Amino acid sequence: MKLHEYQGKELLRRYGVNVQDGKVAYTPDEVRTIANEYGQAVVVKAQVYVGGRGKAGGVKFSPTPDKAYENAEKILGMDIKGLTVNKVLVTKAVDIDAGVEYYVGMIVDRNVQSFTLMACAEGGMEIEELAVERPEAIIRHRVDPVTGLRPYEAREVALKAGFKGNLNKIADIMVRMSKAAIELDANLVEINPLFIDEKGNPLALDTKFDVDDNALFRHPDLAALRESEADHPLEIEAAKYGFAYVKLEGSTGVLGNGAGIVMTTLDVVNRVGGKPANFLDIGGGARADIVYNAVKLVLKDPEVKSIFINIFGGITRADEVAKGVIQALNEGILTKPVRMRIAGTAEDEAKALLAEVDSDMIKMYPDMFQAAEAAVAEAAK
Amino acid sequence: MSILVNKDSKVIVQGITGREGLNHTKAMLAFGTKVVGGVTPGKGGQEVEGLPVFDSVQAAVDAVHPDVSIIFVPPFGAADSVLEAAHADVELIVLITEGVPTVDMMKAVQEVKALDAASRQHGGKGIRLIGGNCPGLVSSGETKIGIMPNRIYEKKGRIGLISRSGTLTYESAKLLGDAGLGCSTTVGIGGDPVIGTTFADVLPLFEADPDTDAVVLIGEIGGADEEAAAEYIAKHMKKPVVAFISGRSAPAGKRMGHAGAIIMGNIGTPESKLAAFAAANVPVADTMPQIIELLKGILNK
Repeated sequence: MKLHEYQGKELLRRYGVNVQDGKVAYTPDEVRTIANEYGQAVVVKAQVYVGGRGKAGGVKFSPTPDKAYENAEKILGMDIKGLTVNKVLVTKAVDIDAGVEYYVGMIVDRNVQSFTLMACAEGGMEIEELAVERPEAIIRHRVDPVTGLRPYEAREVALKAGFKGNLNKIADIMVRMSKAAIELDANLVEINPLFIDEKGNPLALDTKFDVDDNALFRHPDLAALRESEADHPLEIEAAKYGFAYVKLEGSTGVLGNGAGIVMTTLDVVNRVGGKPANFLDIGGGARADIVYNAVKLVLKDPEVKSIFINIFGGITRADEVAKGVIQALNEGILTKPVRMRIAGTAEDEAKALLAEVDSDMIKMYPDMFQAAEAAVAEAAK
Repeated sequence: MSILVNKDSKVIVQGITGREGLNHTKAMLAFGTKVVGGVTPGKGGQEVEGLPVFDSVQAAVDAVHPDVSIIFVPPFGAADSVLEAAHADVELIVLITEGVPTVDMMKAVQEVKALDAASRQHGGKGIRLIGGNCPGLVSSGETKIGIMPNRIYEKKGRIGLISRSGTLTYESAKLLGDAGLGCSTTVGIGGDPVIGTTFADVLPLFEADPDTDAVVLIGEIGGADEEAAAEYIAKHMKKPVVAFISGRSAPAGKRMGHAGAIIMGNIGTPESKLAAFAAANVPVADTMPQIIELLKGILNK
């Protein structure tokens, strides 16, 4: 679960990281009030869950409160990569030229089966771009998940990265950030840029914070930060049913039993020239009512023109899947044709059930590709 | 022969009295797996399916001497269950549970590795963790320590199968069976970001197994395990390997069901995995049926 910049900053502040002051505002008037209060130049920053806000025009330097008001008017309501900005963070502006900007981050790294601390003397840039363009500029260090990052390790990494400034204070920020990452079950914590002023003191100007969804049960305060506008409405509804659902751009609805098979189903739909409307994993062992709910959910997406159900029955019974779809048909909610490939457990029972259905709305195929082609053809009609 | 487990492997079930634990214990028994007991703290002394239930793994080890423990404990207690089994010297620990916090897995994997090294140093057999979020492992016709459908693993074959995905494991095993090839051992390594055993850990076992002729590797987007596997294959393997990558059309930055299936920046992209396999001369099937075509092409040479 991604957090907003201001939320990530608040968490880091709790861990004793020196964070740039700021306040959240929802209207241009609030922005002007905050700018007046600070009595100095401010930066108005869009609070949305995507990177590249600056490039999209979502971060504006504002020398006066009136200019801050004006910038807030532009930014609030703006669309950044499909997300609407409905709040901004107003922070005191910093004279970047009077210091240097670095990058530090902690990321879950499956290759070392722990967190990797990353540090780079070229801050301000997106780390992904840097990793492609100048990978040698990024210093990487595995952090022991049990002991955490020790101060001497942080100092070594800072020195290797070529950080200038107060070495102990910079290392201290890295240690505190690492502690936050481990204790709060982060997938990713970044301080970028980490600003070092002319006196050598570090200050976190921007952060990214992404929390492990599987650990939210032990962080109810973080779980409460989940914002509905961050996710597609259908993704929120899917979560209530316990489905893994991802909204995509196409018109062929996809559902299956298991993340791997659904991922492959998306690939197959693409391969036969279609575009999947969604990823939906109903999980293992789904009964008819779950399948019924899944079909209903997929159909709530107005883009969906047909549905492709791909099931390899292990724990899941093919006849239960068929029953769920037939129930949807009988109740009149099946507004778009369903093309299915069901194999495995109780496949014959499913065939028998479907043979009794006298409707073109549901068709079953023995092969994944035939079913995909049929579903994509229906979507193209 | 087979790798990791065979018909003589003695198995305990941690979480045997839970719904999943109980259902799969029944299925494993039906397969012919030597399940010798179970563990549920607080329910020691009870019986399930005629099997003794113990309060702790150590009590089970003392009484029924298992080689393997399979874990169906809910996410919040799963890593603790792994460590309980590891400290009781169970050689092979299979974590089925999905949704274990990543930090818990980091700590557990690190500790299991330390215990493994210590065991080997003292002449022991070592300790290995498979999973979490995995379907387990099965040596066809011998033993199943997992949640795969029994039917597709009745007949022994000579293809080793390793996969990050449960359902695609079943799908591949079915295809291999229908094609008359069949599996020797199947290892589901799991779909989480931090797992106990990776592709590169399993490949040497298949390379050394006289009853495995070739390996099918089912990877997916996210992480760099496939890249590490490709490197291992290029350097060390004589047996042919055929790969498949799931999620090739997935958008970046979105988690596709599995916690580990996410493209982050330039890490975990299908392009990187395809390039790594190409560099290692490992053919990659574009579709699942093509796995069989490629495999037959290689084996008929």
